[in-house]
Amino acid sequence: MTDPTPTPENPTATDVEPEADGRVAAWKLLAGNPVTLFSVIVLVIILVVALLAPWLAPYGVNQTDVTRALQSPSAEHWMGTDDLGRDIFSRIIVASGTSLQIALVSVIFAFVIGVPIGIISGYLGGITDTVLMRCVDVMFAFPVLLLALAIVAILSPGQLTTMIAIGVVFTPIFARVARASTLSVRVEPFVQVSKTMGTPGWWILLRHILPNITGPVVVQTSLSLAFAILSEAALSFLGLGIQPPNPSWGGMLFDAQGFMSQAWWMSVFPGAAIFVTVLAFNLLGDGLRDVLDPKQRTLAEARRKA
Amino acid sequence: MKKNPMVAVTSLALLTLAACGTGEAVDLNGDADDVEGAVLQAAIGGEPDQLDPHRTSAYFSFQVLENVFDTLVEPDENLEMQPALAESWDVSEDQLTWTFQLREDVTFHDGSEFTSADVVYSYERIIDEELANAWRFDAVESVEAPDDHTVEITVSAPTPNLLSNIGGFKGMAIVSEDNVESDEISNNPIGTGPFSLASYTSGDQITLEANPDYWGGAPEIAGVEFSFISEPSTALAALSGGEIHWTDNIPPQQVEELDGSDSVDLEVIPSNDYWYLAMNINEEPWDDERVRQAIAYAIDREAIIQAVSYGTAQENQLAIPEESVWYTEYSNYTHDLSEAERLLEEADVDGGSIEFLATNEYPETVTAAQIIADNLEPLGFEVSISQPDFSTWLDDQNSGSFDMLMMGWLGNIDPDDFYYSQHHSDGGSNAQGYSNQDVDELLESGRTETDEDARAEIYAEAAQIIADEASYIYLYNPAVIQGWSPELSDYQARSDAAIRFRGAVLEE
Repeated sequence: MTDPTPTPENPTATDVEPEADGRVAAWKLLAGNPVTLFSVIVLVIILVVALLAPWLAPYGVNQTDVTRALQSPSAEHWMGTDDLGRDIFSRIIVASGTSLQIALVSVIFAFVIGVPIGIISGYLGGITDTVLMRCVDVMFAFPVLLLALAIVAILSPGQLTTMIAIGVVFTPIFARVARASTLSVRVEPFVQVSKTMGTPGWWILLRHILPNITGPVVVQTSLSLAFAILSEAALSFLGLGIQPPNPSWGGMLFDAQGFMSQAWWMSVFPGAAIFVTVLAFNLLGDGLRDVLDPKQRTLAEARRKA
Repeated sequence: MKKNPMVAVTSLALLTLAACGTGEAVDLNGDADDVEGAVLQAAIGGEPDQLDPHRTSAYFSFQVLENVFDTLVEPDENLEMQPALAESWDVSEDQLTWTFQLREDVTFHDGSEFTSADVVYSYERIIDEELANAWRFDAVESVEAPDDHTVEITVSAPTPNLLSNIGGFKGMAIVSEDNVESDEISNNPIGTGPFSLASYTSGDQITLEANPDYWGGAPEIAGVEFSFISEPSTALAALSGGEIHWTDNIPPQQVEELDGSDSVDLEVIPSNDYWYLAMNINEEPWDDERVRQAIAYAIDREAIIQAVSYGTAQENQLAIPEESVWYTEYSNYTHDLSEAERLLEEADVDGGSIEFLATNEYPETVTAAQIIADNLEPLGFEVSISQPDFSTWLDDQNSGSFDMLMMGWLGNIDPDDFYYSQHHSDGGSNAQGYSNQDVDELLESGRTETDEDARAEIYAEAAQIIADEASYIYLYNPAVIQGWSPELSDYQARSDAAIRFRGAVLEE
């Protein structure tokens, strides 16, 4: 296994990833992995469906019709109807929009708060690091759902609260990942040189540290999206997330549990929706790690060459 | 009385319970030598909050306590009052003094003798400590014990419903003073009933043991073990699988399937509970009765009943069910959107947002709320459903922070229970803020009218005004649904949902 172009120790100190000759663009590597490619396609489809859901849905999501309750899947109702006669297909695609929105907003929230905490903590070290990380440790000590439940109990349940709850719960994860990566980057020569040249700290963080920790943070983002969707489903299942009658995958599963033996479609389709979306985000996260982790990437490139 | 299962079984606990299934058989032979027979395994939907009959308001507690305690009189299957601890009673000419002759052969489970002092103590405890049921003694001036087996109750005005007040349910049970004073009553109650409490393992089960000295004759079965299964489908599976003999936690959607099943005997009978919608009359636009009537016309009752009960419930636009002697026919509200629109136009109301207070604890409220939200959409109302836990729900109701709510009242017998505290201007449960002087007067005169026909007329009139002005929008009387294994016989489901195992026979 010979590396054709060993990564230089970055003499210029400013470039993030020097596009040296022979390197393969990240997206090409990503596209080269069939599993990753597949997960991206699935996510794009889900995204398009979610965005167009109001126009795609064949029935009103809250349109009840008890005379048509519990119908099995048919040409008219592709995924059957629930106990109130609502069309499950319509509800699932509308819920996908809500689910993705909550996942995105909460992960962005966690990112925006968590990453700065992590890099400041890792870069400054000392007492700042100790204080910040102990706070993060405290938050970690709570089981994820318990903390989310507590937040929802204080604020009243709803979409915004769900976003905040999941965002807060995920913040320490981002802080940890960012700090760990920062610790290894801050001792690199280009950072040290920049420091001796008198570059202000915030500039170093922004220009040198942040770009060099994108790999792990991006991977964490993708995985967090998967877990955010699961958390939202769990909260809605417990009646603390999206409030009925608005559809959510978790809420639909909750409604379905009383009808397990009579209406399998009530639980299978929302369950499958959660499963597919979470799996796609996880696989994408895996693919991204292969590409963004320098060691894995070299392997991938070598494989490609061969 | 609101026999609401106040026990907050969180959904997490629900999952755990569902996972661990039902109680296991426990050998009772060691301490029940003098009683033969099998132990009945019963599953109820949740755990009692406490076992003090005077303090609890949870239905789960009463399911257990029904078998442990006695009242002076008790309702038979037609909900008419029959002798229990009192053998007989007389009312004085002026209707102001009630004299009860007590049975002489009654002992408490701890062996102490039951006397009139216990009755006086029990009633005074409820009155003096202002417990939840103190209002039932509103008219009572004194409770006295002229001798060991006589109790005299003096009332300030004729009180035709005194018997149902003191015997309607086990919240008026006769307790033992020692038991209360030693603070043991909340987890180790001592009564005079057909079963005594053998053990109570919190979160697991309650075991009752037959009382061989029961005044009505020792029960056939050796005991009852109550386990708590909150998930109806799990309870039903346990019943079909033979792990339990009896449960009242049956998913209504499966009633049709179960009918005619060999493995489960099912009984579905109309109950004297009722469910209603109420709007916050203290707030606009609900202060206008036309807006409330519009809602009553807009909701699709049939769909609501179908969705919450799979047709097992009985539509009723008043509170009292058809089976009761106090029933009044009333069906003014049809499902009529154009009438609703007309009323709203008259009131100059053009939709708006509605905060609908539902609760997870009673899933029917959430289900019905979704249908009502759909029903009201064409009128321009946007319904947002909040479903806090039940204690928050009660706070919100009492502080008036709601537009609309759905709830049920359980286990009423006398018409006074059905209407007074809910619709009298000074009624204790008038959270919706209804006030109508005519209704107040009618409800007050109903309390003292001793002629039964005249009394029925008074309540019929009051009820119709209440429904016309939509203080409550009455929805339906749910069914009591109970299932048991064919091995259990001589047991009957009752419309007041009281669960009496004393006559039950269990094949071994």
